[in-house]
Amino acid sequence: MAPALETRGLVKDFPVGLRGVKLRAVDHLDLTVPAGVIYGLLGPNGSGKSTTIKALLGLVTPSAGECRIFGRPSGEVAARREVGYLPEAPYFYRHLTGRELVGFYGRMCGLGRRELAGRVETVVAQVGMTGAADRAVETYSKGMLQRIGLAQALVHDPRLLILDEPTAGVDPVGSAAMADLIRGLRDAGKTVLLTSHLLGQMEALCDRVAILDRGRLVAEGTVAELTGGAGRQQLEVDRLDEAQVTELRAWLAARGCGLHGVAAGGRGLDAVFLERVGRDRAGGKEA
Amino acid sequence: MKGAPFSFLRLGLVAQNTLREAVRQRLLHLFVGLALALVLGARGLRDFNFGAPELKFLADCGFGAMTLFGSALTIAATAQLFFSELENRTALTLLAKPVWRAEFLLGKLLGVALLTALFCALLTGLLAAVLWVREGELMALDPEGFRGGRAVSYAMVALGGSLQWLRLVVLAAFTLLVASFARTQVFAVVCGFGVLVICHLQHLAQEAYTRAGSAVGVALGGFLGGMFPNFQVLSLADSLDAADLPSLATWARLTAYGLGWAVAAGLLAVLSFRRREI
Ligand SMILES: Nc1ncnc2c1ncn2[C@@H]1O[C@H](COP(=O)(O)OP(=O)(O)O)[C@@H](O)[C@H]1O
Ligand SMILES: [Mg+2]
Repeated sequence: MAPALETRGLVKDFPVGLRGVKLRAVDHLDLTVPAGVIYGLLGPNGSGKSTTIKALLGLVTPSAGECRIFGRPSGEVAARREVGYLPEAPYFYRHLTGRELVGFYGRMCGLGRRELAGRVETVVAQVGMTGAADRAVETYSKGMLQRIGLAQALVHDPRLLILDEPTAGVDPVGSAAMADLIRGLRDAGKTVLLTSHLLGQMEALCDRVAILDRGRLVAEGTVAELTGGAGRQQLEVDRLDEAQVTELRAWLAARGCGLHGVAAGGRGLDAVFLERVGRDRAGGKEA
Repeated sequence: MKGAPFSFLRLGLVAQNTLREAVRQRLLHLFVGLALALVLGARGLRDFNFGAPELKFLADCGFGAMTLFGSALTIAATAQLFFSELENRTALTLLAKPVWRAEFLLGKLLGVALLTALFCALLTGLLAAVLWVREGELMALDPEGFRGGRAVSYAMVALGGSLQWLRLVVLAAFTLLVASFARTQVFAVVCGFGVLVICHLQHLAQEAYTRAGSAVGVALGGFLGGMFPNFQVLSLADSLDAADLPSLATWARLTAYGLGWAVAAGLLAVLSFRRREI
């Protein structure tokens, strides 16, 4: 089967300045996203993540190289049938309500009137926006825009989802809910490509990641491969003094193992925040 | 996996959404309000000769308001509805769907065409009502002057409204053509007004050049005539008289002339928009 996404020698130059000066946003990128995984595209701001996505979706024309979606060249309109896309910092027609918006995109994707209402209901509930679906998009908060944006990406039940910074500007509760949703999609057999510069979040979520820097691919693999985590493990124990640590090291050495790091323990602020604020809130009861 | 052929349904959906966005905008309400006020206001100015000339004056006022506010509305709405999609990045979401760029762009054009159709229908209807009422009053005051019954041909008024609409559709298509490659909305609006002036006045320039016999001038006039439609062709003979009603063939020819220009400009816009980076 063809990979979900593929770029070969992708180059994108943007003209900047007057004398034909060019900025290379993407530099000879070869990327293969296999079907059925959560794939993270990481990199600092301006490293070419969004541009790569736009090239994959045929929204910008590559300066060189090619992009394919499930084996179809990105330039073909039909290639986009199986894709749902949530743009970076999404913004939608504010004269529509959330429900009208999702319905409009559903119709544009070829859903018939009859199946439409049911699909809209399903995806709006899936992203936890049922309560706010009849309000004008104009009145939505950033997190709600992200969620209604995800609903429009899901409405035609595509095999592939491309989410550009889906958790940017969203609070930890919302981010955690989004992460759960993304895992659910993968478990339902979808492929998800997402970008972020929030590495902690991505580490826990992604099956594979690629790291971009100034348009170039600098690392690619599973999270475990990249972090060397495959052959390692973390234990959390009660506080040991220096002598005890030395003793432990010796104990481990006798068994051919190394102690690679000692750090303060605890649950981390994330976990405390999520527990206190309550994950059930992410169900869309945000007012 | 099937292909994704061009779809008039999607084009229609874009048009419907565009129209919906337009009618919910305040600026557009303002234009309509001003035009309505002008048509109704003309009714108040009645210190004129009784009889047909006053009715002619009313009609001129009504059509003048339609041209003035209709053109401003068309240019502003076309540029605004197009650029808001790019600036708010809603075009990004839409064009990432299995949607042809031609469906998007021609859908925008159709949306504005429907908007101007509503505008023209509204104002023409209102104008006809004002004329009808005033004509009735005048008939009561001066039965002698209206011995042959009503003097105004309402078919002529309707025809005037439809020609008005054709001009606005052509104007929208040219504005969209500029917008399809323009970087800023202001540029598209300025060019839209430029096109409006050229289309309205090019016949004068051509006559002047021909009279002056300047070769360069004639060439320039010919160039303008080739590049832009002549709105003089799309205007009514100065009359409300049923006797001047054009034949069906003439009416069809005018419609073809207007829509032909609009379609040509629309297709050029599609070509220029095809590779624009969103
Ligand atoms: N339309 C454009 N015109 C000029 N430069 C652009 C354009 N879009 C992106 N760039 C530049 O390309 C580089 C990559 O941008 P982007 O893909 O948005 O990065 P990321 O999504 O990783 O933050 C940046 O330096 C950005 O300034
Ligand atoms: Mg980005």
